[in-house]
Amino acid sequence: MIRLFVVLLKNLPGIIAGSLIGLLISTGPALAQFPERPITLITPYAAGGSHDLNARVFTTYIQRYLGQPIVIKLVPGQAGQKGTLEAVQAQPDGYTLIFTDNYRDQLYQHTFGTRHYDTTEDLVAVARVNYGQVGIIVRGDSPYRTWADFEADARAHPGELKMSHSGLWAAFFVAGAQIMKDRGLRLRMVPYRGGGPAKAALLAGDVDVSAAFPATILSDVEAGLIRILATAGSERTIPDVPSLAEVGVSPSTGYMHRAVMAPRATPADRIARLRAAFAQLQSDPDYQAAMAQLGENTEYLDGEPYEAERRALGREYAELAAAIAAL
Amino acid sequence: MLEALLAGFEAALRVDTFVWVSAGLLLGMLMGAMPGFTTTMGMSVLMPVAFLVGDPLIGIPFLIGVYKGGIYGGSVPAILISMPGTAASVVTVMDGHELTKKGQARKALDMGLAASVISDFISDLLTIVLIIPVAAIVLGFGPPEIAAIMFMSLVIVAVTATGPVLKGLLMLGVGFWLSFVGADPFSAMERYTFGTTELYDGFHLIPMLIGLFALPEIFNAVRTGDRQRGRIASLVGERLSWPELKASLRTIFRSTGIGTAVGLVPGLGQTVAAMMGYIAAKNASKHPETFGKGDIDGVAAAESANNAVNGPTMVPLLTLGIPGDNVTALLLGAFMMQGLRPGPTLFETSGSIVFAILIVMLFANLIFWVIGYYTIPLFSRVVTIKKSLLIPITIMLAFTGTYLARSNPFDLITLIGFGVLGLAARRASFDVMPMVMGFILGRELEYSFGQTVSLAGDNFLQFALTERLGMTAIVVATPILGTLIGLRMNRLRRQELIRGG
Repeated sequence: MIRLFVVLLKNLPGIIAGSLIGLLISTGPALAQFPERPITLITPYAAGGSHDLNARVFTTYIQRYLGQPIVIKLVPGQAGQKGTLEAVQAQPDGYTLIFTDNYRDQLYQHTFGTRHYDTTEDLVAVARVNYGQVGIIVRGDSPYRTWADFEADARAHPGELKMSHSGLWAAFFVAGAQIMKDRGLRLRMVPYRGGGPAKAALLAGDVDVSAAFPATILSDVEAGLIRILATAGSERTIPDVPSLAEVGVSPSTGYMHRAVMAPRATPADRIARLRAAFAQLQSDPDYQAAMAQLGENTEYLDGEPYEAERRALGREYAELAAAIAAL
Repeated sequence: MLEALLAGFEAALRVDTFVWVSAGLLLGMLMGAMPGFTTTMGMSVLMPVAFLVGDPLIGIPFLIGVYKGGIYGGSVPAILISMPGTAASVVTVMDGHELTKKGQARKALDMGLAASVISDFISDLLTIVLIIPVAAIVLGFGPPEIAAIMFMSLVIVAVTATGPVLKGLLMLGVGFWLSFVGADPFSAMERYTFGTTELYDGFHLIPMLIGLFALPEIFNAVRTGDRQRGRIASLVGERLSWPELKASLRTIFRSTGIGTAVGLVPGLGQTVAAMMGYIAAKNASKHPETFGKGDIDGVAAAESANNAVNGPTMVPLLTLGIPGDNVTALLLGAFMMQGLRPGPTLFETSGSIVFAILIVMLFANLIFWVIGYYTIPLFSRVVTIKKSLLIPITIMLAFTGTYLARSNPFDLITLIGFGVLGLAARRASFDVMPMVMGFILGRELEYSFGQTVSLAGDNFLQFALTERLGMTAIVVATPILGTLIGLRMNRLRRQELIRGG
């Protein structure tokens, strides 16, 4: 003990100098510009999903505008609640972000009873990176040539038409639920493990109708195996294919918004810095090319306007969940 | 199509392509060998490499290399330290680690490699030949057929379990019950979660496997102290001999067939294939009682069945654009980023390049063999590490691997819980394998049965008898098949008793 003390005393100048240098190193960068170390992006999905793929692409290129890499941390589980909770509880210093979607953000509190946080209050949008637009699809040889054929048959046989979807309250289920609510129909919803198997069920003729992101089924449409009856939104995106709004379904549903968010208490200047980086990313030709190859759009929306949009979505989802629960 | 195949053959002969495939294989093996780090995670992390390279004959073969290497790599820790690197190699633990304890680690690793390479090669070849004609058949396997096959598998697991039938049935039941823990997939109703969020997704497979298989081994190793001069096994053992490989060829071919069929159906995956291959091998064996006690045939059965899945998953992926699991979803992304759109028009628009990729996949197996051949001697030296060093490393791997799988601290508790359960089961000589199988098959069965009920609607009988004859046939055949196998097992057991005196 005494020897230790003597050793300490002998080296005191060195220890003080070392500590000071250490202190400088650790506090110095705090004065420097944010971000000065890698940022963690929590992704509340399993590896290999569309969020994972999208995140791999934009994190590769955004480094050019942030000066620091974004590291993806997959935290799947509990229908996204685990990852979301981790993001909500993270240090609000801009170094922990979450890559989520509008369902995890605004719908699941109504359907799965998320008890531990309120996403609207606890998270702030940095950017809506892009969206997936849902199309309602049938087999190429289906008797439903048009939306009207489908709706008439569904109305004549309530609860008999089968729709394959990608999981309870996932993107394709929500589209189906909105159709049921807005058109007063009843479909028999059959879950599958993801969009791939849901599409397989349609191709096999096991179900009558399904949903897909049109960009991912171009090849099937060209080959005449799949026909798109309607696409989400109020505008037509494919000539001769009506939008869901035209057939009387709410135009705001049927979009999966992929958004980056941060804890609400994150300093405003850091949020601004992050938002600016996403804005700059949009004019990067390599990013644009990679997303186009992936079949994803780059319909970016700044965090500020998306804040208003997510609140509007939240109100609509509350009604949707109540209507489906009452079925 | 033959033209495209020939053009593809020519395009595939590139040195840089094979360099990248080798890199992918090596990385995949290392990642697969790291417990908890799944093949999907490895591919997801390496995805940007594939698209930054921007050449379809580099990026995609690279990822396919990671895929194949990963599925094989999981068998290395399974054999050496009783810790499956990925869920695909859980069945390999049974006989693989027993062989290690008998001082035949080298032989088990050699068999793992040989079985993987042979089955991968054959299934890739089948994939190339059959990809166009069988595409349509794939769709014939919907949830009703899968449910029926799962039901049949459960019954066969029950009748072929090692030891007393009742003990096997009990463990199977426990596993089956454990698979129900968590939110049900159809209405998100929580079952046995005690209101906690931690059990919402049920038990995770990786901590369960590490807990059941590795922790009891660690405990045993500590308890047995300094026997074998403080090592797991006194020696690495002999290499696999040609007669031994020849004796297992039948098993390898059978498992390859099973794995190929499983791979064609989107979503079943390597773990289910390995189980089926193992059960089939045990059934066909003249000495089923040695399975689970260090039978080299058991390693061959599991390792060939899981690797045979890899190639055929390309069939639904490329011809129909249907990814069955997350690995194939990543590959779908990789194809799309190189401007290739999987789906019915893929072979018309870019047939030669796709065949080139498939041919590279086929030849990658030769590189796979070379890499395995040179790394196995290194890997197998693990058994010669002193226990005092190896045990702490193994414990660390068990815990980091568990956490790595999905960054959930609760999984560490699951790990310890299943470790205790595994130890207790071993002491009371209960086989934990039926429990694991019950757990994995239970999930699949519940999901596909729920889907079937949903598809059938109000009149199930009519659905079963008019629309789904395949399902009905399998369900009807199951008790008959189960009885036959059960009787055969009993006879063999009795003969063994007589022989044993």
